[in-house]
Amino acid sequence: MRRFAIGLAGHPADGDDLCQMTIERALSRREQWQEGTRLDSWAYRIMRNIWIDESRARQRRGQTFIDEEAGLLVGADGAQEARIELGDIDRAMARLPEEQREAVLLVMVEGYSYKEAAEIVGCPVGTLNSRLVRGRDALMALLGEGS
Amino acid sequence: MTITPEELAAFADGELTGADKERVAAAIARDESLARQLEAHCALKARLAGHFAPVLEQPIPDRLTQMLTNDVKDEPGAANVVDFAVAREERAAKRLLPAWGWGGAVAASIAAVVVLSTYSGEPGPGYAGTQIAQMLDAQTIAEQPTDADKRVLLSFRNRDGEFCRAYNAAGEGGIACRDAKGWRLEATGQGEVGGKAQYRMAGSDREILEIAQEMAVGEALDADAEVAARKAGWRD
Repeated sequence: MRRFAIGLAGHPADGDDLCQMTIERALSRREQWQEGTRLDSWAYRIMRNIWIDESRARQRRGQTFIDEEAGLLVGADGAQEARIELGDIDRAMARLPEEQREAVLLVMVEGYSYKEAAEIVGCPVGTLNSRLVRGRDALMALLGEGS
Repeated sequence: MTITPEELAAFADGELTGADKERVAAAIARDESLARQLEAHCALKARLAGHFAPVLEQPIPDRLTQMLTNDVKDEPGAANVVDFAVAREERAAKRLLPAWGWGGAVAASIAAVVVLSTYSGEPGPGYAGTQIAQMLDAQTIAEQPTDADKRVLLSFRNRDGEFCRAYNAAGEGGIACRDAKGWRLEATGQGEVGGKAQYRMAGSDREILEIAQEMAVGEALDADAEVAARKAGWRD
């Protein structure tokens, strides 16, 4: 859960906030989880919904993303965290549209099948497949690995 | 028969079965560019997995484990509910304040212009003046006092492999990269040096960090890497 949260939020501390909110919501709605279904998929679905709400709310407030520069400031302390934050991959991921980023994370990092990932996101499998390809191509271009 | 990028991705991710799988596999065997695309897909997947793997090794923050080990109350503890925006702002403020002296000093910094070319022994327009150059040569982030008025904020390498450092010197912020002549200015808070705005104007410290972010290739230098770079004179 932390890995997905950090990937979505693009920052470890934001990721942990997102995790905390997800756990709270999952606990408060735990009777809604259906036995026999995957608990992790259910939790991931809650998480990405919270993240989308938060992203929208932030846009409404007119806040800009401060993650990148905040990351640089953490780096200014010479802290280990800078290794995560300044990575090319994080910067490239941050530039992907939300729907492509979550598709890439769910399949390429979390190892979900297209069907499971599509269920978490709530879209058809074909849509998930094409978002993944677009996100992957954009990442490769950003990382200079395009073929 | 054409294989779509979607089919190729599905094949790479083990999504295809039966006839579809065989069809794509046969196409890949015939077509070298498809084989390369498959390889690139798998390489990216491995790189991403490797990048995020350390998260699993890290200890889970107490505040998360506590939520799951404490007795779960029927009402979701209102006092504990995180307000994402507030938490985020508080954290941002904590990061910003000690590192930048964010506040009046920064506002003043944009106005306070140090005319670099008035120093003697300058390497010339477009390069950092003696005082800043000395700081960039000598000071490491780990060693400098947090309240020093001349501070290096970040060290990194640019696309040419040069060492670059973002700094804030008594209100003047900038980024300089070390070349054969000296610390070449890439961005400064004063906009113009030597009458020519040949590098990017950085109107605020925030912008300087954004520019550094764009320029940086790879990770920021950590404390050890900074010491090693200093030893090498910030040149390879």
